[in-house]
Amino acid sequence: MLEAANIIKTFRTRGVESPALAGASLTVAPGEFVAIVGRSGSGKTTFLNILSTLLTPDSGQLRYKGEDITALPPAALNRLRREDFAMVFQFHYLLPCLTARENVLLPFLHSLAPVSAEVRRRADACLDRVGLGGKGDKLPGHLSGGEQQRVAIARALVKRSAVLFADEPTGNLDRTTGESVMDLLADLGNDGLSVVMVTHDEAHAARAHRTVHMADGVMA
Amino acid sequence: MNILVIPLRNLRMKWARSLLLLLVFTLGVASIVALNLVSGVVGESLERKLVAYGANILVMPRTEKLTVSYGGFSMGDMLLGASDLDEARTMERIAAIHHGSRVSAIAPKLVSMARVDGTAVGVIGVRWEREMAIKGYWAVDGEFPAREDGVLAGSRAAASLGLVPGDTLSLGSRTAVVTGVLRPTGGDDDSVLFTGMDFAQAAFGRPGRADYVEVAALCAGCPIEEIVDQIAEALPGAEVQALQSVVRQRMYSVDFVQRLILSVSLIILLIACAMVGATMLSSVNERIREIGLLRSLGFSRPGVFAIFCFEAVVLGAAAGCLGYVAGHALSLRVIGALDITEGATLAFSAAGLALTCLLIVAVSVLSAFFPAWKASSVEPSEALISL
Ligand SMILES: Nc1ncnc2c1ncn2[C@@H]1O[C@H](COP(=O)(O)OP(=O)(O)O)[C@@H](O)[C@H]1O
Ligand SMILES: [Mg+2]
Repeated sequence: MLEAANIIKTFRTRGVESPALAGASLTVAPGEFVAIVGRSGSGKTTFLNILSTLLTPDSGQLRYKGEDITALPPAALNRLRREDFAMVFQFHYLLPCLTARENVLLPFLHSLAPVSAEVRRRADACLDRVGLGGKGDKLPGHLSGGEQQRVAIARALVKRSAVLFADEPTGNLDRTTGESVMDLLADLGNDGLSVVMVTHDEAHAARAHRTVHMADGVMA
Repeated sequence: MNILVIPLRNLRMKWARSLLLLLVFTLGVASIVALNLVSGVVGESLERKLVAYGANILVMPRTEKLTVSYGGFSMGDMLLGASDLDEARTMERIAAIHHGSRVSAIAPKLVSMARVDGTAVGVIGVRWEREMAIKGYWAVDGEFPAREDGVLAGSRAAASLGLVPGDTLSLGSRTAVVTGVLRPTGGDDDSVLFTGMDFAQAAFGRPGRADYVEVAALCAGCPIEEIVDQIAEALPGAEVQALQSVVRQRMYSVDFVQRLILSVSLIILLIACAMVGATMLSSVNERIREIGLLRSLGFSRPGVFAIFCFEAVVLGAAAGCLGYVAGHALSLRVIGALDITEGATLAFSAAGLALTCLLIVAVSVLSAFFPAWKASSVEPSEALISL
C-alpha cells in the first residue's frame, strides 16, 4: 500500500548539515497498524513527514498504491493529502477560531463548495466516536488537552482516508488520557485503516500490529 | 459552510483587532471622502465666486487697422471689417459651444459717447443681470436700474457731471434717469455711465448690435484655450482673446486646492494600507502553524492565499461603506459650517458608494497581498515544526 525505500534526508540550516535520515525504508500493508519507536532525534518525525508528503526527501522513493509519489505536482499532492492521507500530530493544531465541530469539518472546507449535510452528519458521528458528542459547539480554548487531541483525531477520521499518520499523538497527554487516545487508534486498525504511529513509548507501541525501531536515521 | 468561514470566524474571534483595523480604515476613508466631497463643493462655489471677479474671455469684431497716408499727409487710421457684432446671434453661438456648460456668464456691451452738459462721457449699454454676474464686486448707492431708461453712473463720472440718483439727462435721442451711483471700483467702470442694452441700442440708433462681449468661463477639467478655440470657431467673424493672467490665477487656486487634497488623501490611504499590511503580516506569522495544518490537510496555495485576502476584502468592503457614509455625513456638516458654500447641495450617490467600496477593497487586498502570498508559500513541515 505505502512503500518507502532508502529515504535520505539531510537538513541544512545556515551551512550546518544535520543528517536526519540515512536510508530509512518501510512498507505498510492495508489495514496494518505500524508503530515506529526510537529515541528522540533518531529521525522518526522526519521519516513520518516524508511518508505523509509534508516533506520532500533528498533521495529515495515513495510509492503509494503502486504509484510513485516522491515528486508529485502540487494539485495531485493536495488531492492526496486531502483524500488519502490523514494526520494527527503531537500538538492538536486546532484552529482557535472554529468550534470543535467546524474543526472536524476543516478537511472539507478547502474550497468554496459548501459542506454537504451528509458530511456534517459524519463529523458529528466522528465526534461521538471520540467521546465528544456534546461538545461540538465548544471552541478549542474551552476544551481540555485530551479533548483537543480527540477533536484532532476526529478531524483525521472524518475524511475516511486510507492511511493515518500519527506523530506521538499521546506525547502531550497524561497517562490515562493517553490510554484513551491509544484505544481509539487501535480501534481504527480494525476499520481497515492503515495507521503509522511514531512513539517513544514501548507500551503504546505494543498495541500496534508491528513495531519498527529507528536509530540514527535508519531502521534498527 | 465553505472555506470563507475560516477568515470570517477569524475576524470575529480577533474582534478587537478587526474593530481597530476597521476603525482606522474607516476613518481614513471617511476623511478622504469628506475631503473630496467638500473640495468638490468648495471648488464649485469657488469657481462661482471667482467668476464674480470678472470675465476672462473677450469677444470682439475682427478688424484690421490700416494707417492711411497719402503724399506725406497722414489721414489717420482706418478700420476695416465689421465694426460691431450681432448681439443675439453672438450670444446664442457662444452659449451653444461644446463646453457651453462651463460658460458662466456672457455679457454683451454697446459702447457709445454722449455729451452731458457739454462734457463727453462714455455710455455703456449692458444686460444688467449678466453684467452683475461678472461684476460681483459692484456696490451701488441708490438702486440698480429696474426701469428701461435707468442709468447707473460710475463714481468719477457722477462726480464730474454732478449726477445724483433721481437726476434726468439726455443720452443720444432719449432721456434717461439716474437711479444709482456705483461706489468706486478703481477700474474703468468709474468713469462711464451704464444703461440697459435695449435703451442704449435705441438711443444711439444701433438696434440689435453689440461692440464686444465679455465671457466668464471656468474650466477645471480643460484648458481655457479650448473654450477660446470653440468660441472662435462658432464666431468666424470675431476675434476671441483669453485674458491670460486672470485665467491662470483662477485655475491655479482651484488646482492647488485639489492637488493638496489629493496628496493628503493619498497619504491617509497609504497609512491605512500600511496598517492593514503590517497587521496581516503579524497575523500570518502568528498563524503559521494553522497555515501549515491547512496545507497538510490538502488546502491549495491559492486556497490559503484566498483565506488571507478575504479577510482584507471584508475589512475593505466594510470600511469602504462605513467610511463613505461617514464621510458624506461629515462633509454635509462641514459644508453647513462654511459660509462660502451657501446654496451648495450634496446628493448622496449610490455609484460613489459602490465605487469607493470597490476601490477600498482593491487597496485593502493589495496591502494584504504580500502577507497572503507569504502565508501561501509556507511549507507544511516547516510550519508545523515551529512550535
Ligand atoms: N527542520 C529541521 N531543521 C534542521 N534539523 C532538523 C529539522 N528537523 C529535524 N532536524 C534534525 O534531524 C534529526 C531527526 O529529527 P526528528 O526527525 O525530529 O527526530 P525524532 O522525531 O525522532 O525526535 C535531529 O537531529 C534533528 O535535530
Ligand atoms: Mg519527533
